[in-house]
Amino acid sequence: MRRQLPKRSCRLQFQIERGGRYMESNVIVSRRKKLIGVLREWGLVFSIIIITVIATIIRPAFLSGQNMLNILRAYSTIGIASFGMAYAVIGGGMDLSIGSTISLTAVITMLIVNSSTVATVAPASAALLVLLVGILIGATIGAINGAIMAAVNGKLAESFIITYAMQIVVGAIAQAIVRGNFQAAQYRSGLFKEFGIGITPVLFMLAVALIMQFLLVKTKFGRSLYFLGSNMSAAKMAGLKVRKVRFLAHTICGMCAGLAGVIVVARVGSASVLQGQNYELDALVCVAIGGTSLDGGTGSIMRTLLGVMVVGFMMTALNILGVQSNAQLIVRGAIIVSAVALDVLNKNLKLREVAQ
Amino acid sequence: MDDFILEMHHITKRFPGVVALNDVSFKVRRGEIHALVGENGAGKSTLMKILNGVYQADEGSIVLNGEQTIIRNTNEAKAKGLGLVFQEFNLVNSLSVAENLYINRLTRRHGRVDWKGIYKEAQQFIDSLGFNFNATDKIEELSAAQRQLVEIAKVLAIKMDLIVMDEPTSSLTTTETEILYKIIKNLKQQGVSVIYISHKLEEVFKLSDTTTIIRDGEVVDSGPTSTFTRNQIVEKMVGRSIDTEFPHKQCEIGEVVLKVDHITRNGLIEDISFELHKGEILGFAGLIGSGRTEVAEAIFGAEPYDKGVIEIQGKKVAIHSTHQAKQESIGLLTEDRKETGLVLAYNLIWNITITNLDKVKNGRFISEKKEAKLAAELSKDLNIKTPSLKQYAINLSGGNQQKVVFAKWLFSDVDILILDEPTRGIDVGAKYEIYLLMNRLAEQGKAIIMISSELPEVIGMSDRLVVLSGGRKMGELSHEKATPEAVMSLAVSN
Repeated sequence: MRRQLPKRSCRLQFQIERGGRYMESNVIVSRRKKLIGVLREWGLVFSIIIITVIATIIRPAFLSGQNMLNILRAYSTIGIASFGMAYAVIGGGMDLSIGSTISLTAVITMLIVNSSTVATVAPASAALLVLLVGILIGATIGAINGAIMAAVNGKLAESFIITYAMQIVVGAIAQAIVRGNFQAAQYRSGLFKEFGIGITPVLFMLAVALIMQFLLVKTKFGRSLYFLGSNMSAAKMAGLKVRKVRFLAHTICGMCAGLAGVIVVARVGSASVLQGQNYELDALVCVAIGGTSLDGGTGSIMRTLLGVMVVGFMMTALNILGVQSNAQLIVRGAIIVSAVALDVLNKNLKLREVAQ
Repeated sequence: MDDFILEMHHITKRFPGVVALNDVSFKVRRGEIHALVGENGAGKSTLMKILNGVYQADEGSIVLNGEQTIIRNTNEAKAKGLGLVFQEFNLVNSLSVAENLYINRLTRRHGRVDWKGIYKEAQQFIDSLGFNFNATDKIEELSAAQRQLVEIAKVLAIKMDLIVMDEPTSSLTTTETEILYKIIKNLKQQGVSVIYISHKLEEVFKLSDTTTIIRDGEVVDSGPTSTFTRNQIVEKMVGRSIDTEFPHKQCEIGEVVLKVDHITRNGLIEDISFELHKGEILGFAGLIGSGRTEVAEAIFGAEPYDKGVIEIQGKKVAIHSTHQAKQESIGLLTEDRKETGLVLAYNLIWNITITNLDKVKNGRFISEKKEAKLAAELSKDLNIKTPSLKQYAINLSGGNQQKVVFAKWLFSDVDILILDEPTRGIDVGAKYEIYLLMNRLAEQGKAIIMISSELPEVIGMSDRLVVLSGGRKMGELSHEKATPEAVMSLAVSN
């Protein structure tokens, strides 16, 4: 009958991250809960450190600045796509058309860059032009997604179907443009190539992350996006422009994919219709690992960035350690499952905190 | 004489930081209806959750049928003959009534589920209770009131010795409430004991044999209901004396701010017209399903209307969205604060400022500092009780949650405030505070529409009453002419 209270309770400013901001809930929590709170807070950073330490012990070169830069550069496009995906997910939706969008912008970018007139006459303008065109293509696809979602008042399930359909359509358009041909780069130098080398892609990723995090936390749109994702009917009944917010979120998500498509071409120096394959899933994994609940209403871009780093470090470490690619896929699968499991666990814990 | 079916001795339950129950002893006789009253957060629910094995007591013992028992979970409680009618619905919406009733005891014939037999049995059972729906009806097709009855039927379907009902009538209409009263009296005759939790004191006097009053986790008083007066119970619940149940407001009623002209939404509301004045509280009375909420949703732009004109401050407006309604200075406090009024997973600041984020901007961007400051001012003004504004909305009591919803609309400073069941599920003390707040707002020149299913409240608070029935306006009554009889006769006409 009698049940002991936790022996050593301690009062702590229990910080729970919600929406990329810290909120305090002044509750008395047990040691166990405190530990969970710390894990929730710093788990991603811990994971990055642990991966780095283990990999470095086995292969000291892992810790080198060059290797770190290589990892970040390799994951910069996935990062940018993930930030867009995070917007869609926070708003209670999803975007499966990211992959095709990247493929389409990649092949169109390559066509523009390879057309000798543009590239030779004004290489710098050509570089900015493809950047603009890429983002515009992405924005258009995202806007169509968003418009349909807004029209049907869609939630997660609808976004799944709508953007999956868009994935097929856009993939077909990309296919039709290049007729299955692999497009190799003909450019030798110039600003466009700069997009893909050195630290530039990483800077692109960080800039996008900063802007998007700022928009999320500091604007009416960002706050509305959280409300939309957490409780669509409450958002509507608070007089928010639910459709507009939904539309904007998908458009921005498309823009991110478009930008990623341009940079990926600059980085790898070729484009094919398969360029963006699996990007939507990779992005979703980074978003989930970054602690954004797939139910919507929570999450942040900065944590998504940490999620990207966890995945990047993990996969590179496995590579360096010489783990076979099939085994790597298994690890990848395990990461996804554990990210979702953690999310569910997290929610249950919250419910229990709340039940009192 | 003193044949107790249940004795709870010296129950103490602590939660981190609070003592929810302090040395509570509670006894229920066989075959009696025992009312348990107290404000929200007084400890009623905790006590009942201990009885049902949801929580374990830190100290104390439970004696059931003269035997000391330990109840570890709800299944054990059920096995020991304890039934609980939840306030929240635990029904599967996509299944039929019969499927919900028999969900955990499907009878088989020849290895297959005997649906024919189950539906027949279920229908007989429903008819015997006098409920007005079919065993084949899907839950999602039923009204909230009917769902509550299914919830009750679920408990009655199994033979229980003691049934706990937690505010069973809060979503029921008068007719259904009468049916429930009959059922409860029937149970009593069969020797079943009922613990009846309610905020409606009329019910307590009408039904119960014994009343126990809980305040702040302690039993304040317990005795035969007939030895209490209504005011005594209220005073004991609240811990202070109550002068009047409905405070009076002192303000002049001004010019027309909202004019609704022949609003029709096909199939739901028909040809509704009325005027709302500055400084006025206009009551909307009617049974559940009479179209009150639908009128509110139409004015607020949440649902479209097919015909009719809305004028605000003498100007024709076409409202197509909730955002537009907000621009026209209309706010709607929805009837379901947990689903549509608040985002429970967000803190109070976010919940309060969401209606007017422009106000918390510093330049072009949101300033969290300014936001926290403005929210704090409003929360202090409305006397919202919370350890911190960073508390999640879900952690607040019903009354305080409702004040947050008020704060949310005051934050956007609307002139016309539509309140849909503003006091549903909140306790006497908090209700009184809401009434005072409504009066204050009216005195400040806001125009208020109050929709309420509680007749005394809507009559007591309103300057004028519009009575709806079947989606039509049946009449309008001045405060002086609005007697319960007059309102009811309009509400049940048609």
